[in-house]
This record gives sequence, structure tokens and C-alpha cells, in this order.
Amino acid sequence: MVDYLLGVGILAAVYAINALSLNLQVGVTGLLNFGQVAFVGIGAYSVAILDSHGVHWAVGFAVGGIIAGVAGALVGRLGRTLSSDYWAIATLALAELVRLVALNQDGFTGGAQGLSAVAGLWTNLSGTARDTATFATIAALLVVTYVVARRVRNGQYGRVLVLIRENPDLAASLRHDVVSAKARVMALSAVMASVCGGFYAMYISFIGPSQLLPFATFLVFTMVVVGGLGNTTGAVVGALLITVLYDGTRFVRDWIDISADQAAGIRILVIGVVLLGFLLVRTQGLVPEKVRTAHARR
Amino acid sequence: MHLRRNRTRALGLAIPLVLALSMSACGSDSDGASTKKSALPAANSSLKGEIKIGAVLPLTGTNATIGKDQQRGIELAVAKINEGDGVLGKKLVVDIEDSQGTADAAIQAAKKLVSVGKVSAVIGEYSSGNSIPMQQYLQGQGVVGVNPGSSSIDLRSTGELQFSTIGLDDVAGKFTADALTEKGYKSIAILAPNNSYGTGIVDSVSAAFEANGGKVTTSGLYTEGQSDYRQELNRLKDSEPDAYVVTTYGKDGTVINKEIFELGLTDKPVFDIYMSQDVPDADPKSVEGRIGMDVNSTSADGQAYADLYEQTYGENFISSFNGYAYDAVTLLAEGIESAGSADSAAIAAALPEVSKTYAGVTGPVVLDADGQRSEQPYVIAEVKNGEIVPQ
Repeated sequence: MVDYLLGVGILAAVYAINALSLNLQVGVTGLLNFGQVAFVGIGAYSVAILDSHGVHWAVGFAVGGIIAGVAGALVGRLGRTLSSDYWAIATLALAELVRLVALNQDGFTGGAQGLSAVAGLWTNLSGTARDTATFATIAALLVVTYVVARRVRNGQYGRVLVLIRENPDLAASLRHDVVSAKARVMALSAVMASVCGGFYAMYISFIGPSQLLPFATFLVFTMVVVGGLGNTTGAVVGALLITVLYDGTRFVRDWIDISADQAAGIRILVIGVVLLGFLLVRTQGLVPEKVRTAHARR
Repeated sequence: MHLRRNRTRALGLAIPLVLALSMSACGSDSDGASTKKSALPAANSSLKGEIKIGAVLPLTGTNATIGKDQQRGIELAVAKINEGDGVLGKKLVVDIEDSQGTADAAIQAAKKLVSVGKVSAVIGEYSSGNSIPMQQYLQGQGVVGVNPGSSSIDLRSTGELQFSTIGLDDVAGKFTADALTEKGYKSIAILAPNNSYGTGIVDSVSAAFEANGGKVTTSGLYTEGQSDYRQELNRLKDSEPDAYVVTTYGKDGTVINKEIFELGLTDKPVFDIYMSQDVPDADPKSVEGRIGMDVNSTSADGQAYADLYEQTYGENFISSFNGYAYDAVTLLAEGIESAGSADSAAIAAALPEVSKTYAGVTGPVVLDADGQRSEQPYVIAEVKNGEIVPQ
């Protein structure tokens, strides 16, 4: 049981980092990035490819972070010529591009077969001790990501980002460099996403192009929206809730005696209904965004 | 003002997302595996206690139909075993978890079976991308894994506790290449989907055919879900081989078979790998006279099993994967019986020995040194009057 709970915890933390990254883009800055999985994929493949050549994972994280950061900044700059809806479509195309490169560069990425046997963390430990150590590592990383995301959101830079979301023309007229601000927030989020991808590849010990489908992005979108768009804590709460919902509902079948395939169908249905319920009752998410009103009143 | 805008924004985003998430479940239709035409035989009442093993199958998601068929194979095997003497005088229970067709859910499912259910063996999955990490996890936990559906050769190296009851790509590739050589073809052009299944087939057939002294003029990997494949097919045609080798399924198969006929590729022999995947859905005149290979389900034991399946579920096999799942359960049960305990290491030690004499519904399942199925009976067949007729 402990191992299973630790597994849920590890997955939840991995997703929470991803959600924090997406929240900075979609929630705070209003950048509808439908290609989030591209940055996750860059991180995952960097770690997996270098690992298959015997390079230490830390190098993989660094390389993945740099590539994703540069890619993020470039995608952010695309916003200069594309208005938001068109930009969103461009990000979707970028994610597909990354997936197709992964699918077709056989010698490099393992092609459709993907890369398996990626060495995990704490290989010198085993069993519950290893899971505990892995969980502690990823939890620590989540705390760091959370602190960074929160500082960005609550600082002067974060207020500029919110202004860009609410009224980009006003932001520009106040002499804020909108394109640069967008490029910087994209670069930061991309680095976070690539770190999440690196951990994902190490935990699952496998990465393949089938894990880079747009669905992976939409799942994280759901976490951010359910948690509360624009709220840093909300992103973590959303990721936790949805991971627990997916894994917790596995136990439903232990109480009622129905066939496995029906149980599986009902489980997914229950997840859908619960999520819809949350959204209808709490339209702004579980932890709604707080925009500072005190300042304006003073 | 911005609050209201935020609210509409959140809802506008969220509702399509939740719908998209629930849609992934739609693969599992209401007609579940449990919808039986006739009930399975009841368990022998003299069995005391339970022996539990696990299974991780894609019951929802894009491969839900295969998962449901694998579940049927498991149900039939469990019913047959418990109707008789059970395992070590106990009732066999297979705890089935959903993999949702994704690697992380498959790992979580296996984790639950191992860590909460304390099973000593886990059967699964279907996609190689899920089976490989799952078997690596099971190996790390010291739990036996049996793959009843994936064919990537990477499964050879997942560890000494890991096995397969389905022949991997190298087994199918060797059979196909030998059949092509025997038919006197000196050169072939191959078309397969660009996914782990397709690339595995292309690599293994090419390697074995070239080892036989043949030449592969070109190998095309097509992107699934297109409305037109003329470009890929013309490339095959332009390479002027003695024969075309294709493997395809689903909606893509229907389009490809139509275009093969229209472009005149049928002037030369077309060899179809796993022909039952695409021939039944094709326009009969486009596949008339086609030759190909498929798994053999016509062995003596296989026929009785096919009858039982039809009698229980009121339809013929919906895929060829139920049989491998059936053999996985039965082989594990014999392994546990022979080991005298449900201890993982003891089962793993017993399985290769038991497999030598095991008569599976998919034919003999002799496990090699890597724990993989070393032989699998395939048949060469031809399409005559729209029917697949074994040669």
C-alpha cells in the first residue's frame, strides 16, 4: 500500500510541476499554450537520449532545460507577429513538430519504439526506500518550483504579466516591453516543464512519441482550470486532485462486484462527472485567483 | 469586470476539456466483456482459498477493443481452471486493472496490484510502449510478468522474471521472410504504419529477408489517419520489386487496399502480414487473390477454444489477442502448480520447463532462454471469393 501511495505522490508532484508551468503561461499571462507537451518532451528526451549514451542524468536535465528554455523564448517572441488565437494554434503545431521529429529520427530518439530502460533516480536503493527517496526528491523540486512561480506571480514582473493578460495595449502604452515579458515567462515555464519531463522519463523509465500526443497537454489544462486559473496554489491543488481522482477511483471496483471492463468505463465516467461538477459549482476553480484590490482602493 | 471574464474564460476552456477527457472512455462500448450469451461454468465447490494473480489491460482508451478481448481470454481461462481442480487446490482469481492505454496509468495499475493486492505475477499489456516499462517495474519488484500482446524485441531484455506468450516481431518476421523466399521472390517493397508495431515488423522482416539473400527495394512507413496514401504506394511501385509486402489495419487499411487496387499494384503479388486485420474490411475485389500470413487458430485445442468463445460471447473472435491472454493465464496456473507455491522466483523457474509440454490454444508456447515464445504456428493463406482460405 505504501509503495502505491508513494507512486501516486510522485505522479501528482510531477504533474503539479507541469501545472505550475502551464499556469504561469495560461493563467497568469493569458498565453494559451496548447503545445505544453513539447517542452515536457524536450526534457524527457534529453534525459533519455543522454542516459542511453551513459551520460549522468543531471547533464540531461541541464541540456533539456537549455533547449526548452531557448525554444520557449522563441515561441514567446512569435507572439510579436501573431495575435493570441493564432499563437495558440502555432503552439499546437510546435508540439506536433516535436512529436514527429521524435517519431522519425530513429537513430537518435528510438523512433516509434521510443527509448526504454531509462535509469531512474536512486538506483543504489531498492523497494520502498527507493520510492521514498524519489518522492522526497520530486517533492523538494516541487517546493522549489512553487516558490519560484509564486515569487514571479506576486512580484512586479507578475503584475506586468497580469496586465498583459488583461489589457496588452495598456501594458505597451505604459512602456512595458510586452514581447520580452512574454518571451521571458515562456522561457521560464519551458524550463520547468522540461524538468518535469525529465523526471517523468526517469520515473516511468520510458519515453516514446505516443506520450507526446495533444491529450497530454489537455490533461494538464484540466488540472490548472479545476485548481483555479491564475492561482499558483490552485495549480498544485488541481494536479493533486486529478491524480488522486484517477488513482483513487481504482478502488471503487473492490467494493462493487462488476466486470473489469465495465468498472473501467464507469471509472472514467465518474472522473468526468466529478470534474464537471467541480467546474459548475466552482467556476473559478477550487482556489480562485486573487487580484490585489486593496492597492486600487487605497 | 475581469472576474466575470475570467469565469467565462475558465468555463469555456474547461467544458471542452472535460468532454475530451471523458471521450477517451468511449472506446469501451456498453456491450462489455461480461455481456455473455451463455454463462461460464461455475467454480468447483471443493476449492478452498484463493490464489491471486494480476492483469493490466487497456480497458479504456484507443485500444479498448483489444483490452476487452484480452479480458475475455482471461475469463475463459479462469473459468476452465476453476471448473476443474483449480491451482494447488485453491481457486484462481485474476485481478484486472485498467491501463487506460497509457504508460503512467499502466505503471500505477501494476503498482496497485503488487503493492496493495500482493500478487506474485502480472499479465499485460498490449502496447509495447506500456508493456516494456511495466515489465521493468515488475522486475524491480521481483514479480513475474507475462506479456500477452506486445511484440517489440526490446521485451527480450526486461529481466529473468519476465515472459511472453506471444511471438515477438523476430519470430513473425522470420516466418514471413522464409515464406517470401520460398515463393521465389528476390526483391520486396514493404509498407507498414509508422508506429512501434509497424517499425518492428519492417525491421524484422527486412533483416530476415536480407539474411535469406533477398533485397528490400524500399520500405515505406505511413502516417496513420490520412485520407490518401497514393504517394507512399507510388513509391513502392516505382521501386519495382517482385512482390509488395503490406501490413495495415483499421480505417487506414480500407483506404490503402482500395488504392493498391486502383494504382494497379495488384498486377504483382501482394503479401499481407496479419491479413485478418484488414482483408475483412476491404472491398472484396481489391483483395481477391491476395496472399498473406496470420496466426493459426485452427489447431485441435484452438478449435475447441474458438467454439467455447463463440458459444459464450455469441460472436467470433474480435481480435487474435484473446488466445494469448488465455495462454498466459493457463501457463501461469501450470507454473504455480508445478512450483508448488505462488512464490515469484519459483514460478519463474518453473515456467520454461512447463512451457515445453504446454499445449496452448494458440499452439505450442515453448519459452526460450530469454523467456520469450520461441515458436508460434502461423499459416499462409489466400483470399478466394472474398474469404481467407489457408493454403
